[in-house]
Amino acid sequence: MNAKALIGLALGIAGFAAAMLVPLNGLELSAQITLGIFVLAAVFWITEPIPIFATSMLVILLQVILLSSQGIVFSVRTAPLAETEMNATGALVVPATVINDAGVLYLNAEDKSARAIKPATIVPLGDDRVAVTGPGLDETARVIADPMHRSITVKSTPYATFYATLASPIIILFMGGFALAAAAVKFGLDLSLTRVLLKPFGTKPAFVCLGLMLCTGTLSAFMSNTATTAMMMTVVLPIVATMSPTDPFRKGIALAIPVAANIGGIATPIGTPPNAVALAALKDAGYTVSFSSWMMLATPFAIVMLVFAWWLLVKLFKPATNHFELNLSGSFNKSPKALISYAIFAITVLLWVTEKVHGISTSMVAFLPVALLPALGVLDKKDIRGFSWEVLWLMAGGISLGLSMKDTGLAAWLIGQVSWATLGNAGVVVVFGLVGFVLANLVSHTVSSTIIMPLAISVGATLAATGNFNLVGAVVAIAVIISLAMALPISTPPNAIAMSTGVIESKDLTKTGLIVGLVGVTLSVLLGLTLWPALVS
Amino acid sequence: MNQIYIMCIDDEPDVLEAVERDLSTLEHLFPLETASSAAEARTVLQRIADAGDEVGAVFCDHVMPAETGVELMRWISQQEPWKLTKKALLTGQAGLEATINAVNQGGLDYYVAKPWTKESLIEVAKRLLTDYIIETGKDPMRYITSLDTVRLVEAVRSKGIMSDT
Repeated sequence: MNAKALIGLALGIAGFAAAMLVPLNGLELSAQITLGIFVLAAVFWITEPIPIFATSMLVILLQVILLSSQGIVFSVRTAPLAETEMNATGALVVPATVINDAGVLYLNAEDKSARAIKPATIVPLGDDRVAVTGPGLDETARVIADPMHRSITVKSTPYATFYATLASPIIILFMGGFALAAAAVKFGLDLSLTRVLLKPFGTKPAFVCLGLMLCTGTLSAFMSNTATTAMMMTVVLPIVATMSPTDPFRKGIALAIPVAANIGGIATPIGTPPNAVALAALKDAGYTVSFSSWMMLATPFAIVMLVFAWWLLVKLFKPATNHFELNLSGSFNKSPKALISYAIFAITVLLWVTEKVHGISTSMVAFLPVALLPALGVLDKKDIRGFSWEVLWLMAGGISLGLSMKDTGLAAWLIGQVSWATLGNAGVVVVFGLVGFVLANLVSHTVSSTIIMPLAISVGATLAATGNFNLVGAVVAIAVIISLAMALPISTPPNAIAMSTGVIESKDLTKTGLIVGLVGVTLSVLLGLTLWPALVS
Repeated sequence: MNQIYIMCIDDEPDVLEAVERDLSTLEHLFPLETASSAAEARTVLQRIADAGDEVGAVFCDHVMPAETGVELMRWISQQEPWKLTKKALLTGQAGLEATINAVNQGGLDYYVAKPWTKESLIEVAKRLLTDYIIETGKDPMRYITSLDTVRLVEAVRSKGIMSDT
């Protein structure tokens, strides 16, 4: 373990303990525990003493143990029982203190839950004892001694709810994307499409580069940005090999791929995990954004950014030649299974973008490829194992943590520490956007959005309730900004792949990534406050 | 992080030196171990395995005293720790018979004829090590610049080794 990881480990555990033990004004016990888990998760996600998906699994485990109605803190098993006895008249004699102001006492029902009982009669016996009668009040009754015990007063979540986040609609939506991508890669659809799409762009370097970027962007809108980058790099590296070592455009064309892949992920809900995190947070706040609504906001933006990035690359790395040798031979795989996979791909995407017409929700459509591709033998056991399950766990941990932050009032309390109203709508989007942009350049995009989204949603919901703040527009803007963070090799896996090929130097990547990022941030903040709210309302 | 070694076995010290010199560009990622006989090779291999390290590729002379290269290769290919190790025969005198045996029984991956050029030997080593990295499912990112870049990037794509996290 390196120093950073060790420091992270110590910091995370210390923060976890401190958040739980230091009494904080206005926080319930359950919210303090959630704060502890949130601090631990955020520190672990950022410093990575353990893999980020493992941190997410740990989050769910801690929630099940510490926060659930069946866990060691809030289970009814933790409530002490009162001394009881039956008297001669068949009434149950209990201490007077077991009955609360509303005249209700609580029974421990099979160690599973606290059952409220309003006794039919209550006869004081003196000596602080009362005789009660009513249904369930017999010699088997296990009366809880303190009616104000935390297992009764705190509204805790059943443990199954935390587990269920792994099957939440947003995760299933992403699984649908994985199934489609797995089939596309298996039959080389991504590669054949690239060849076909590149043909009209001729052999002039600048136009070939534009073609490559549009291909990359289109594919990464439906596949993982990383897989798309890897595929396109295998197309670009042979081109780079034929160029003169002094040609500056070698770098331009190699940089074009990760930049386009990062931007392309913005275009659809399944393009990249931060979009899913944003959608899940919006869903939790009561806003359902359809596939086509997302695309209506994000796709034109992604196209504009792609063209801008292309213009920038051609300007920064002027091509020295005016002709590229491209080998675009090859054809579509026409085996029956390949044809089935193309058909299912087309049908799924078509159903996604036409939700307004048929009303079947995005996540319902997403299960079509998940179920049909294996059923028709297109994907086998090995392909299913090949899904990026760690990404699904990562998102599930985030969704689960977000649930507790909202339900225990932690998110509202954290947000309450700052008076957001003075910042105004624009200020809020700018602050969250900039924090997200800086964080996402340094750590994983999914992690950044997981940490930021629950807070952004809380602020947004508060503002939306009081004034003319459009939550959907703002959250989409923040998700988009996170995807635009690509200034460093470590910012995104596509950057890491492109850097590791040895064609690009860090400073080229930083210059390009920073300019594209900052222009994109400015544009998305403007859109998030003006055009996007108008489009969704 | 365990090391991946290249192993070279030949009874002539000159050959070992030549291989060492030619493959020095890969040394920073794939340290070279040498042995001058099959018996010594077994000891070295065992020592590497005991340290928890791996052998990515073996270059082996065929004509050696006591035990031929083909026999040694057959043995290596049957041992658990080196099941996926890539094997190249490095020889100028193996007859057709011996070569056929090496392919059929020793799981030979490549035949390098003496004398070789430095470039061709490096190319063979890169090709075999790329195969090894892909087949053992290692993280290709560490090796992209030193080995076959296009094939390793392709492995990232088709095996889903990296994900958007």
